This record gives sequence, structure tokens and C-alpha cells, in this order.
Amino acid sequence: MSEILSEHQKNPIPIGSPPAVTRRMFVAAIALGLALLVSFLFTRYFAYRTVQENFYGQALVPAKAAFDFHLVDQDGKPFHLSQMRGKTVLFSFGFTHCPNVCPTTLSDLAKVYQALPAEDRRKVQVLFVSVDPHRDKPETLKNYVPYFNDSFIGLTGNEAQLTEAAKAYGAYFEIVHDAGTNPEVYSVNHSALTYLISPDGKWKLLYNLDQLSDSKKMVQDIEQVLTGA
Amino acid sequence: MKPSVPITPLLLLFFCCGCKAALADDVPVKVESGWLQAVPPVAEATAAYMRIRNLSQSLLKLTGAFSSIAPEIELMITTRHLHDGQEIMGMERVDTLEIPPGGVLELKPGGNHLMIMGLTSHPKEGERVKLTVQFAPGDQRLDVEIPVFKQEPK
Repeated sequence: MSEILSEHQKNPIPIGSPPAVTRRMFVAAIALGLALLVSFLFTRYFAYRTVQENFYGQALVPAKAAFDFHLVDQDGKPFHLSQMRGKTVLFSFGFTHCPNVCPTTLSDLAKVYQALPAEDRRKVQVLFVSVDPHRDKPETLKNYVPYFNDSFIGLTGNEAQLTEAAKAYGAYFEIVHDAGTNPEVYSVNHSALTYLISPDGKWKLLYNLDQLSDSKKMVQDIEQVLTGA
Repeated sequence: MKPSVPITPLLLLFFCCGCKAALADDVPVKVESGWLQAVPPVAEATAAYMRIRNLSQSLLKLTGAFSSIAPEIELMITTRHLHDGQEIMGMERVDTLEIPPGGVLELKPGGNHLMIMGLTSHPKEGERVKLTVQFAPGDQRLDVEIPVFKQEPK
């Protein structure tokens, strides 16, 4: 210990004129400190932003690029999801013979749509994808989907297209025949979720059926997605 | 002098529910908040919803319903299960739905419901529809009249 002290005394740091190397190091340290502070503040800011993005729906983190399904619309025209770029899209899978989940989904979404400020409604598109192409033709959908709201669009496709679209969104459906009855009488078990696609084409949120009935919270989410884009 | 029947709560019930609360002498149930989901003419199926309160001290079973708007009305329960993390909803037909003594059977969107199949007429919002609801034990029948709505009344 004493030896170290004496070493130090032998080579005292010259006062008043620090060597150029030390000064440069000092400047570098300040710069580094500032850089660290700035990056720290940025991180905090983004963390804050993330906390602020507090969605009612189940958020996909990170948001995925929405699968661009290629289907047919209720007028029989080709429909690509990417045509909707610039709009917030809410869509679900279903079928028109569905007595409970599908009318509930569509009527809840109609309520949400009506609760949006008029200027935001043009930036929102609701779609209903029928996974029952055997019974739901485009004209069937034309007479069914817009009934809930004029602006809503019904879509369908061939089995391969629908399977691909459903798979991309983790949706599931199966035809269920009631034993001993007419083969034309069947039900479809399906995922009853609603998917939200942001205007920049990202699959951002997921809603279960029960969540759709709270129009106020749904509107808040949509507004947040619209302002964030 | 106060009337022996509590008129005010009954009146409130009458107006708040937006539907006629059916109080039959013979069937010990009270049907409230009933409504039918309006669907467009292209639709073949819809559902009716209501709350059925068992006013008796014994178990009652809802066994079915019929109406002039469709040949078939079935009791359905909604099943939910997870498939790859997403909820799949399905329906299953059941023969009866139990209503415990003093309890309530709730038929609601996304839950148990009366599935109305093969619609022969499509009642519009604002109209009313007559349904006959059947209960066991025995064949107890109750006529109810429910309003038609495009969106769930809240």
C-alpha cells in the first residue's frame, strides 16, 4: 500500500496543463454520457408510448403483416384484402345459416360502426367471410351482410381459398352433420373471432364475441388504430 | 291505502324490459327481456333470446318452443373450446335445459338460445312475435310475445 502511494508521489499529475489525450477522453466521455442519456430517454419514451397503446382487444405483439386473402365479394368480383389499404378493417368468418354467433357479430359490429364519428366511418370497413361456399353464394351474401349495415361487405371463395385464408388467421371451421338428417342440413363450428387490420396492412388485434358488445371500448380501439397509422 | 300487490315494481319490470313480462297462472315461470334477432329474408335461421325465471320450488325443464314463423325451433347450447389458441364456437342441440328452483335460465347471444330454423316469415324490427314455450314436468305451455330487434337491446 505504502509503495503505491510513493509511486504516485513520484509522478504527480501536472496541474494547469493536462495532456491533450486526457482532454479528448473527457470530451468523449461527455459525448458518450449524452448519447446514453438520449438513448435512455428514447427508450423510456417508446416504453411510455407502448403503455399508452393500451388496447381493449387482444394485441398481437408484434403486429403481423395481414395475410392478403384473395376472395370474391358479394357482387362476384375478385376481392383482395390489400385493396383495403388505408382503412381499418374488421372481419370475421361465418356463414349465413348461423343463427346465433354470426348475426350477433354483425349486429354488434353495426352498433360499433354507428357509434364511430361520421368522418371516421369512411376509414373503417367491416367484412364478413362466409366459409360455407356450398350454401352461401355471392348473391346470398349480398342479401345478408349489408342488411346489418349498408357499408358491410360479404366475401366468399372456393374451398382452397377459404381454407388458406382461415389458416392464415388461425381460424378454424368444420362442417357438422346432425346424425340421421338431410345432408343439406348441417351446422358449421367455427372460431367466433373478429380480426382488426390496421390501415398499413398489419393484423393488430383480435376480439372474441363477448368483447364486441362493448361499442364504447371498440370505438376507442379503432380510433387509436386510426390515429396511430 | 297500499294495494296488496306491489304495483310499482311490476310496472317498472313491465316498462324496463321492453317486452311483456309473461306471468301465467299455470306455469310457474316469468319470462323477461325476450327478443328475436331480426334477419334479412335470405336468412333461413335466427335465434330467440330470453330470461326464464323459475318461480317454483321444484326443478323445471325447458323442453321446446314453437311459433308460426318457422317449422322448427330447437334448444341449442353453445360450446366453446380452444383450437391452436383460438376459441372455436359450436352449437349442440339438447332436448332440455334445466331451470333450478328459484333460478334463472338465460338464453343470450353467444350462449344458449332457441334456434329458429327454416324461417317462413321474416319479422322485422319493431314487430312482435308469438312463441309458445314448453316445459316439463308434464307438458306445460306458456305463450309469450317478444319484440324483434336488429341489435341486442341494452
